[in-house]
Amino acid sequence: MSIKLTTQAYCKMLLHAAKYPHCAVNGLLVAEKQKEKKKDSHSTPILCVDCIPLFHGTLALAPMLEVALTLIDTWCKENKYVIAGYYQANERTKDFRPNQVAEKVGARIAENFSEAAMIMVDSTRFTMGCYEPILAIYDHHENKWKCRDCNADCFEDWCEAQKITSALLEGRSYESLIDFDNHLDDLRNDWTNPEINKSVLHLC
Amino acid sequence: MGHVKEINVLIIVFTEMRDKLRKWREDNHRNSEQIVDVGEELINEHASKLGDDIWIIYEQVMIAALDCSRDDLAWTCLQELKKQFPGSQRVKRLAGMRLEALEKYEDASKQYDSILQDDPTNTAARKRKISILKAQGKSAEAIRELNEYLEQFVGDQEAWHELSELYINEHDYGKAAFCLEELMMTNPHNHLYCEQYAEVKYTQGGLENLELSRKYFAQALKLNNGNMRALFGLYMSASHIAASPKVNATVKKANVKYAAWATNQINRAYQLAGRGTKENKCSVKAVEEMLESMQITMS
Repeated sequence: MSIKLTTQAYCKMLLHAAKYPHCAVNGLLVAEKQKEKKKDSHSTPILCVDCIPLFHGTLALAPMLEVALTLIDTWCKENKYVIAGYYQANERTKDFRPNQVAEKVGARIAENFSEAAMIMVDSTRFTMGCYEPILAIYDHHENKWKCRDCNADCFEDWCEAQKITSALLEGRSYESLIDFDNHLDDLRNDWTNPEINKSVLHLC
Repeated sequence: MGHVKEINVLIIVFTEMRDKLRKWREDNHRNSEQIVDVGEELINEHASKLGDDIWIIYEQVMIAALDCSRDDLAWTCLQELKKQFPGSQRVKRLAGMRLEALEKYEDASKQYDSILQDDPTNTAARKRKISILKAQGKSAEAIRELNEYLEQFVGDQEAWHELSELYINEHDYGKAAFCLEELMMTNPHNHLYCEQYAEVKYTQGGLENLELSRKYFAQALKLNNGNMRALFGLYMSASHIAASPKVNATVKKANVKYAAWATNQINRAYQLAGRGTKENKCSVKAVEEMLESMQITMS
């Protein structure tokens, strides 16, 4: 029922928020497609292996969001991934509650993936050192989003995630992070962020 | 000989930095970290060479410093400006912005009120007061104040655009569209306003709004055929109209044609972009497949 995050997924989420500190940002989380339903599948956590940063600024408009969701869905099928979650950081630092946009997109993802998670980034605790996880994870239960405590257990390897995210923030890697908005500005910009993925692997 | 060369290099570096700052000023770029990096060095090492440019650079660097929580740097810049321009409203406004950055909203508001007492038409001070409301999450009040402001200053495009964004965030798409209509009227050649208007109409939904959105996406493309959002938007709106059970055969046929045209253009754009890069091949394929799958739903 619960999701876990890899270092790469957590890292890119925070880099996206760091790149646009004065804007709201959002994006998707993807997990590897499970081949077959194991008997005790409800106890195996879903591992979100990657994150696709989507937009910054105005999040409440539909057309580009639809394009992104459809395009990324197609890309997922190619790579045996599935869209497993949605993250958002609000424009105002002190505001980390999910709003209508987050709930709508979250619900849409939950239609195709029952264990979808909605993640809100708590910018008030955002530091260069990344000493604690700054996410609030919401699970979809009976048409409502319930907040779950986010601690080291929500990560594949919290120590690694903390170390690498902090290093990339110090190195200002967020300057080269590409989101879907950047891609629409110039198609050569690659929203899969291969260079940053390499940096993460390099530091592992 | 070597000595002269060294000095030339330093001069080049200095002029590059100064030109970068000017470009960022002109483009209204909010790349605050870079501005602080370049600006701080320029101010510390090359102040004497800047001439009168230094004052506008102090202002630019101060605002960027506030963005980066560099109150030390912001304070320094502010003191220099206060010394040079005592009693200036423009400098008073900067002092107010610093108070905002420190979240001292009441003090900031008082600062702006004092500017307005001396000069009730000071638009910058009024807009800062509205920004305070926005920072405090008081969207309804910000919207109300901004509407009042626009009744008086009906030509302020920055304000109309800000208002459209506030309305979009409140999901009041009808009023957002109205703001963008104002902007399109006064800026008929601006493809971005056309495209944003189309996005708002699309989001509002319903067949009529979809057709309007398609028309404005097309208009945006006419004004700038490189606008990918407009191209994708044209594709999406035409596809949805063609797939709608409410349209007759003629309308459906026309929209299938528009969507097909857009598909071609999108594919071409991706081919052009993907040339030579291995990574982008994946994007191209994903786009092709996405477009193919949507064709099926339309027929």
